[in-house]
Amino acid sequence: MVSKEEIIKIAKLSNLFLDENVMEEITEEMAKIVEFADAINTIVCDEDIEFDNINQIENAFNEDEVVESYSSDEVLRNREGGENGYFLVRRRV
Amino acid sequence: MSKIKQIQNLLEAKEISCVELTKKYLSNIEEKNKEINAYVNITEEEALKTAKLVDEKIATGEKLMPLEGIPMSLKDNISTKNIKTSCCSKMLKDYVPIYDATVWEILKKQNSILLGKTNMDEFAMGASTESSYFGVTLNPHNTNYVAGGSSGGAAASVAGGLAAFGLATDTGGSIRQPASFCGLVGFKPSYGSVSRYGAIAYASSLDQIGPITDSVEDAAIVYDSISIYDSKDSTSVGSKNTSHDKLNSSIKGIKIGVVKEYFEGLRDDIRKLMEDSIKVYQGLGAEIVDITIPLLKANLPVYFITACAEASSNMGRYDGIRYGYKTDSYNSIDEMICKNRSESLGKEVQRRIMLGTYALSSDRYDAYYKKAQKLRACIRRDFKKIFEECSVILTPTAPTTAYALGQAVKDPIETYSMDICTVPANIAGLPAISVPCGLAENKLPVGMQLIGNRFEDYKVLNIAYQYEKETKDQNRSLWQEVEV
Repeated sequence: MVSKEEIIKIAKLSNLFLDENVMEEITEEMAKIVEFADAINTIVCDEDIEFDNINQIENAFNEDEVVESYSSDEVLRNREGGENGYFLVRRRV
Repeated sequence: MSKIKQIQNLLEAKEISCVELTKKYLSNIEEKNKEINAYVNITEEEALKTAKLVDEKIATGEKLMPLEGIPMSLKDNISTKNIKTSCCSKMLKDYVPIYDATVWEILKKQNSILLGKTNMDEFAMGASTESSYFGVTLNPHNTNYVAGGSSGGAAASVAGGLAAFGLATDTGGSIRQPASFCGLVGFKPSYGSVSRYGAIAYASSLDQIGPITDSVEDAAIVYDSISIYDSKDSTSVGSKNTSHDKLNSSIKGIKIGVVKEYFEGLRDDIRKLMEDSIKVYQGLGAEIVDITIPLLKANLPVYFITACAEASSNMGRYDGIRYGYKTDSYNSIDEMICKNRSESLGKEVQRRIMLGTYALSSDRYDAYYKKAQKLRACIRRDFKKIFEECSVILTPTAPTTAYALGQAVKDPIETYSMDICTVPANIAGLPAISVPCGLAENKLPVGMQLIGNRFEDYKVLNIAYQYEKETKDQNRSLWQEVEV
């Protein structure tokens, strides 16, 4: 069962605001979906088995070499506002 | 016949120039896209520029590369340098990538003609394109129905004659289900065979890029071009085998597994088409074997928990500071980030982020995420055993035909349950294809799915090709001839 308090906590962890008006509806909906997901806890499986990655590939390490990359201007071209490589946020002090 | 080959024959014979061909497709888009809404961004200038280059090459008599001069579409979650890539979300509606996805880099080098970026469910989280910020994509077969999703735009672009093929992504069926709904071939390759670099992540361990085409042969041609090892994707393996040259291999004596559970409760008209497909394979000399997928019931919740958990983590990057939607009013940085996300991400995306966060939270982690991963390992092991006996597994692609507009989003659980046939291939990283197998009683297309063993993509394509060859007259209405 998912409580309203849990939903508030999860929303906060998710960096999302939830409107008080829709809280009831979302709690109810989440409870139903969690119940659907809960089905896995009724299924018995081999306890020793572990999943790492689908192709069972191992980490590959590269030499730490400096290579040509993107310029700051390119990387920051999608930000809103800002100049000289900085971000612009509203003044609070 | 392969539409790709047909186009290249016409181009090389100079019966049509690449610029003329491209203009023909652009004019089809101009005429039909307003209604179908397959494309969210049309790249006319880029398309005509490349078409001119292809014509110059043809004039020199040089042979064309496999996808050179072919007008195609890209799903709007595949990064294209200097071309908007929005994931059909308000969050990224003005986002312009600074680099190309590897698949697009490959196609660009081959001078494929990019006609535009196609519509999709927001961040690929949906099965009908109804969650797209740019509105729903309609099914070219009947515009009272959706084209499916999440790659509905890619499927409608091909089914509507607005592209020769489309590249899309498949996390739980997003290539195969819209292909099935639109009467096309949709191929999800083995996980790792096609680079995911530049595909905007939904659930990284499940996502895979693949083609939506008119024919199996075209799917094989596209797959052979894009299945290359890429050091920029840490899960990339590439492909050891080409598939197009193996399309005429005999399937006499192969074993095809049929899962009884998938046929129980199936609509009569869809079941009849599946049974007819089985008969076609028997006629081709294949042996049909009844099999069971031991943890079939676990597949949906395992998929859902894994996908949401990975989505929750992947979506964490959207803070609206470095890129993306930014709110007008806020009192603190934390509030700004929350508002940026809450005001621009749709209901389904927010729901999946929250469910993923719930499954990953410290007091729920063992019960949900860890348990789901254990089950995932069991599912992968069980499939491995099945493929010791069978070459492929045959199932319907979806338990239904295309949804009527507005029908898909009513109940989330019911909608998630519709993915039952497609998610196992993503969970186990298997190649799977949807091939048209006829029309249902409502005259909408139905797809048959074949699932194969990991990295035996060429076998899946060949077995699908044998079916297509055998039934192409009966299914001709689903496989449109190119009009040039």
